[in-house]
Amino acid sequence: MDLQLNRKLEIRGICKSYRNHAILKNMSFAVENGEFLSILGPSGCGKTTLLRILIGLLPPDAGSILKDGCDITGAKPSNRGMGIVFQNYALFEHMTVLRNVEYALKFQKIPKKEARERAEHMVEAVGLKEHASKMPRNLSGGQQQRVAIARTLALKPDIVLLDEPMSALDVATRLSMRAELKALQSQFGTTMIYVTHDQEEAFALSDRIMILNSGEISQLDTPENIVRHPANAYVQTFVLDNLQAKVDSLARFIGGK
Amino acid sequence: MTMLKTMKMKKRVSANGIIQACMVLFFLFCVILPIVSMLCRITPDGLREMTQSPQFLPAVRNSLTTALTATVISMLLALAAAWCMERTRIRGRAVFGMLFVIPMLIPSISHAFGLVALFGNNGLFTKLLGWDVGIYGFWGIVVGSVMYSFPVAFLMLSGILQYEDGMTDQAARVLGIPRFRRFLGITLPYMKKTLISAFFAVFTMIVTDYGVPLMVGGKQITLSVLMYQRAVALIDYDSGSVIGACLLIPAVIAFLVDLCNPEHGQGGYVSEPVVPEKSRLSTVLSYLWCTLLSLLVLAPIFAFCMMVFQTKYPVDSTFTFEHIEKTFHRGADEYLLNSLLYALLAALFGTLLAFVCSYLTARSKGVLGKCVHLFSITSMAIPGIVLGLSYVIFFHSTPIYGTVLIVALANSVHFFASPYLMMYNTLQKVNPNLEAVGQSLGVGRFRIVRDVILPKVRYTLLEMFVYFFVNSMMTISAVSFLAPPSPKPVALMINQFEAQLLMESAAVVSLLILLINLLLKLAASLLRRNAGKE
Repeated sequence: MDLQLNRKLEIRGICKSYRNHAILKNMSFAVENGEFLSILGPSGCGKTTLLRILIGLLPPDAGSILKDGCDITGAKPSNRGMGIVFQNYALFEHMTVLRNVEYALKFQKIPKKEARERAEHMVEAVGLKEHASKMPRNLSGGQQQRVAIARTLALKPDIVLLDEPMSALDVATRLSMRAELKALQSQFGTTMIYVTHDQEEAFALSDRIMILNSGEISQLDTPENIVRHPANAYVQTFVLDNLQAKVDSLARFIGGK
Repeated sequence: MTMLKTMKMKKRVSANGIIQACMVLFFLFCVILPIVSMLCRITPDGLREMTQSPQFLPAVRNSLTTALTATVISMLLALAAAWCMERTRIRGRAVFGMLFVIPMLIPSISHAFGLVALFGNNGLFTKLLGWDVGIYGFWGIVVGSVMYSFPVAFLMLSGILQYEDGMTDQAARVLGIPRFRRFLGITLPYMKKTLISAFFAVFTMIVTDYGVPLMVGGKQITLSVLMYQRAVALIDYDSGSVIGACLLIPAVIAFLVDLCNPEHGQGGYVSEPVVPEKSRLSTVLSYLWCTLLSLLVLAPIFAFCMMVFQTKYPVDSTFTFEHIEKTFHRGADEYLLNSLLYALLAALFGTLLAFVCSYLTARSKGVLGKCVHLFSITSMAIPGIVLGLSYVIFFHSTPIYGTVLIVALANSVHFFASPYLMMYNTLQKVNPNLEAVGQSLGVGRFRIVRDVILPKVRYTLLEMFVYFFVNSMMTISAVSFLAPPSPKPVALMINQFEAQLLMESAAVVSLLILLINLLLKLAASLLRRNAGKE
């Protein structure tokens, strides 16, 4: 039992298929407490399906999910102590920033005053204090993403799932959001599971990276180990060669100086 | 424990299924079964009798020739108008756009009555200028039908022109392709699907309408008039059913064409709209064309205004309120209240129903959802008079027959498809993850719908409400079968007043319907504009 104490989340033999097409094939892995895990793979590899199963929006065909040693496979999404941030934010467009963050707290039997305070605190934590009374449509993409993150963190989940949260942002915003996300993680001590198709992002952010290929785990390891010992040809071509190409294309200019 | 929770999850999913199943049942009882029961009235004898009657074949011929001619003219006028509005640099497009669709706010029978007022035996042109153009007959039906269907064709065609991709047009312009050839070679092929859909829609609309041919057809009896005479006047439901089945044919074809011909690019993203080319000639021609068309389609309304406020149209033009007063004494006030009640009920019930249906189909998957979607758009294929007759046959012995409810129900079903599609398209554009976010935050689906989705789509709801209301105010099709015994709506008075030669009262009623619909439209657009400023 002691060995499992650090295991925040354990996934055992998850399978999922749509119309006889296997999306996830008998997948097992564990996520450590406070870890930043990226799930990296091309579109259609099953990463979003996995995320939706983890939070409980989709039931798996087989397998189980354990959190802190308890089976949560059939639990309601809101009873899992998890939050999710979507790629296109899914903000409540007719509510101000503050109301967006506060809204879900109303349903948690949290006293009004405390809910308001917590929401204000979260809005401040993501750097949107001056924008608290604005409508989402008047915010930039990065700011909208911050609202979505604040809304999720306000419920104090111990695991946050992020479904390609940066893909709609421009490059400069992405870079600054990466730093902010890491800062928020250490501030709140949250475990984060981050889905992306961007190799660079996965390597920049993660403690460990899970490389997914057509519903199977190609490799799950730290960035260093993946670079040093790619598990197979897929990891080599899809991940490492792509990264190398990026480095090479810039090395001409930067290295030459 | 886990088992229990898994079961709970399944139960949640099936709650959705239960509502979907209810919707399927609703359509079964309010659309499919009534139609089937009407078709079951057709016996081999009845069929033989009807088709061999001396009136039948001429009626088919009249229907086809008038509807085809009117459809072609209507489409050409609308295409030219849409092009002027979307592809030239005329100003006041909002004004022209509004003038063109005002005729959509009065019943078909009013358009024809307007023709009578202008060109009939006691019409303005006949009396004052001595023109006797003889509107009764083929050309009367064609002109009336064109006036009645033009706005619909115009809306469909200008809608599709708005969404043409400007980049293609620019590329062609850079390649040096002349304007007219660009229209023929690029724009028309792009519009092909909409042109086909619009053609069938307009044809169906004209061929199933009895208002125009009844008023100005003279000796030219069309199928729809024949059905009206047999089923409404003579209460001969068997012959009515045979003709109803005939009228269902073009409607079903139009429906199938639309189904096989989906999405005309509307609602898609356009990188850049087409920028009209600068040309003095085309701008001047556009002004002329749009002004001429506005005058043409609004002529009946001018005639009504003169009839209503002049002592004796067209000979004594002193101002008076006398006709309005008299019309109300003739019972128009009571009938008007009936109409308002029908319109309000149909708008409330229809909007609710259309919202629930579109929410189910646009935001969840599954076979039942697909069924509901198909049923929802099926109502488009059923002409009002066919729906009316089938309701009489199907609901005859139920307690709602002869009440206010059955008319409101018929109107909700008859006008269901368009509002349903409005909301369906809007909901599909609303972020698909909202319910999922709600679930992860512990906020139920119902609350998300109430607090997040409804506020977002409230203007679509308003638009749906207005659509149901306006159409219920002016419809004369299904209600003509149901009222009496249900209380009579005011639109049915136009025909009655005209038959009693109370021309001024018929004009008062037409104008009254227009006024109410116009006010509602204006109120809705004001509401939306104010919200836009926020």
